[in-house]
Amino acid sequence: MNIKEFLKDKQVLLLVVLLIASIGAISYLGIQQGLDLKGGSTIQLQLEQPVDTATMNTVTAVLDKRLNIFGVKDVKVYPSGNQNVIVEIAGVQPDDVTKIVGSNGKFEAKINNQTALVGSDITQVKTSKVTGTQWEVPFTVSLEGANRFAKVAQGQAGVPVEMYLDDQLITSPELSAELANGQASTDVMISGSEATKEEAQNQAKSIQTLLQSGALPVKVKIVGISSVSAELGEQFINGALIAGILALIVIAAIIIVRYRSPILVIPIMLTSIAELILVLGAAAVVHWNIDLAAIAGILAAIGTGVDDQIIITDEVLKGFQEKKRISGVRRQIKKAFFIIFASAGTLVAAMLPLAYIGFSRGATGIGILSGFAFTTILGVLIGIFITRPVYAKFVEMVLDK
Amino acid sequence: MVKFERFIESYKPLIAIPVAITIISLLLITIVGVNQGIELKGGTEAVINLDKSISQSDLQSLITADFPGQQVTVKSVTNNQATVAITGDVDVVKLTSVLKGTGTISSYKSVGPVLSAESMTQIYYALAFAFIFMSITVFIIFRDVIPSLAVIFAALSDIIIAVGGMSLFNIPLSIASVGALLMLIGYSVDTDILLTTRILKRTEGTVTERAIEAMKTGLTMSAAAIGSMVALYLVVMFLIPAAHTLADIAAVLIVGLVADVLATWLMNLGILRWYTEARK
Repeated sequence: MNIKEFLKDKQVLLLVVLLIASIGAISYLGIQQGLDLKGGSTIQLQLEQPVDTATMNTVTAVLDKRLNIFGVKDVKVYPSGNQNVIVEIAGVQPDDVTKIVGSNGKFEAKINNQTALVGSDITQVKTSKVTGTQWEVPFTVSLEGANRFAKVAQGQAGVPVEMYLDDQLITSPELSAELANGQASTDVMISGSEATKEEAQNQAKSIQTLLQSGALPVKVKIVGISSVSAELGEQFINGALIAGILALIVIAAIIIVRYRSPILVIPIMLTSIAELILVLGAAAVVHWNIDLAAIAGILAAIGTGVDDQIIITDEVLKGFQEKKRISGVRRQIKKAFFIIFASAGTLVAAMLPLAYIGFSRGATGIGILSGFAFTTILGVLIGIFITRPVYAKFVEMVLDK
Repeated sequence: MVKFERFIESYKPLIAIPVAITIISLLLITIVGVNQGIELKGGTEAVINLDKSISQSDLQSLITADFPGQQVTVKSVTNNQATVAITGDVDVVKLTSVLKGTGTISSYKSVGPVLSAESMTQIYYALAFAFIFMSITVFIIFRDVIPSLAVIFAALSDIIIAVGGMSLFNIPLSIASVGALLMLIGYSVDTDILLTTRILKRTEGTVTERAIEAMKTGLTMSAAAIGSMVALYLVVMFLIPAAHTLADIAAVLIVGLVADVLATWLMNLGILRWYTEARK
């Protein structure tokens, strides 16, 4: 095979096209960094008991709302299984985190600056109703709360009820006449009307979440916090880069010693770099977070790639030695690929359970390694189907004299 | 070369070497045990950026004073960074105020007992299923009981020796080191598959010749992998001690990969030679 044939080969062309696409994807879409690299916190919460999907949605909605009220941007709150919630916050210093999530939401309703209701008075918040542009949020309060409210509200029809969450004013609907008659009722509701149906729905939803925030349907406690500052994250990235470069130098030295042919170093290095670009490109396209575990996975995939390239090189060398014909070399490469596919199969098989835990539970427990499993599997697949066949062709071309 | 050929001709006693190391590792694991990282036993670990230089013992007594009844371990102190482990629950706000003037927390990790118990269960499942899936794949590849079992035993022995190494060198079992063990399953099977394919599926030359050919390739592969891991280990130790979990991963893989050289070329090769001779 000469250089012209090599450049016209379909697999070579495919690699070139995918490399350009990956570089495009990386520069256009960017690589999303995990919280351990860009700095941020992951907080794992556990509910008192397992809950159904609806309750879980309430819990995550309430937590999300509270974090937003605190002015925390870039927050992700998502369920993990039926008893755990994971909160991810970017760019927060470690000691701010527990202040935010550690305290209970403090809900207060005031009329004329007198406390009418507090979070612990609310016993149940029912589903909000929207009819046209009218909205209402029914809820029940304890007897004690009902009595206090009745006293404070007496004769105050039309006065705004100021609702605070964690001491911040969220909304102030007007007190309706039927709640201002001084009679205690445990079944109450807040209602109002907006300009459009959509606004009415938003307002109802927002009030409902607000009322629930003071009283989450289940008790929540923090079971784990993991927090990394941006500076440390940067150190991790630099460390990984230095380690990667050093590893490539070590591999190059071993290749030179073993084959006494420095030219073989070039395709092995190029293949490794190509695999790195392709994995990062694929991660950019599917918006996969690259965290420390994912970097380890990429290094692992490239490592097995180097192993495979050594297998290919040895088979090609052997083919030239024994058969001295290109057909013999091709047969030899085929044999190499049997070993390569078999090892790739076992590695992917070993990573599947980890990937499964990661996908089903998110970044909790061993799930923080899901990035490792994902990038390893991705890197191995890219390697065996895209880069290694090209490497085999390249070696064939270089050694064919 | 002749000497070397004679050396691998007398394969039966050589099988005993990796087997013996595996048994010693098992003893180490059961008697000495493996330390658990904070993710698995619960507790708190913080990396502190130091504003002024402070000795290990000074930092330790500074923190211990405000957290009575909890065990405080200062794991490492460099010019500007310290890693501290504290048992039990720690109020991070309090820790921050204790450290005021000395340093600021740049990484903080706290794991409660519920989560640590759950992680441990997940680790057992992940390792067990990884091993089962790998074994099934190996059986599908070779469709022959004894060679497949030889590969699986070699992988099992690698993992046991790697865990034994963790016990010996006091490397804690953590979620990251489980990643290393999973990676080891993949790496170790690579050389075994190479060997088995070359011995059983090829016909050129004698079994010994094929074994030596395979060994050349396999040892180059192992050298590349071990070399990269040594590089990673050294970079973490000297440049980013805060990422000590990465050093743990590298150390586990180095022990496991060295074990794999023995398990593949003494045990797996021995079993295969035994098998090919018995088949004749």
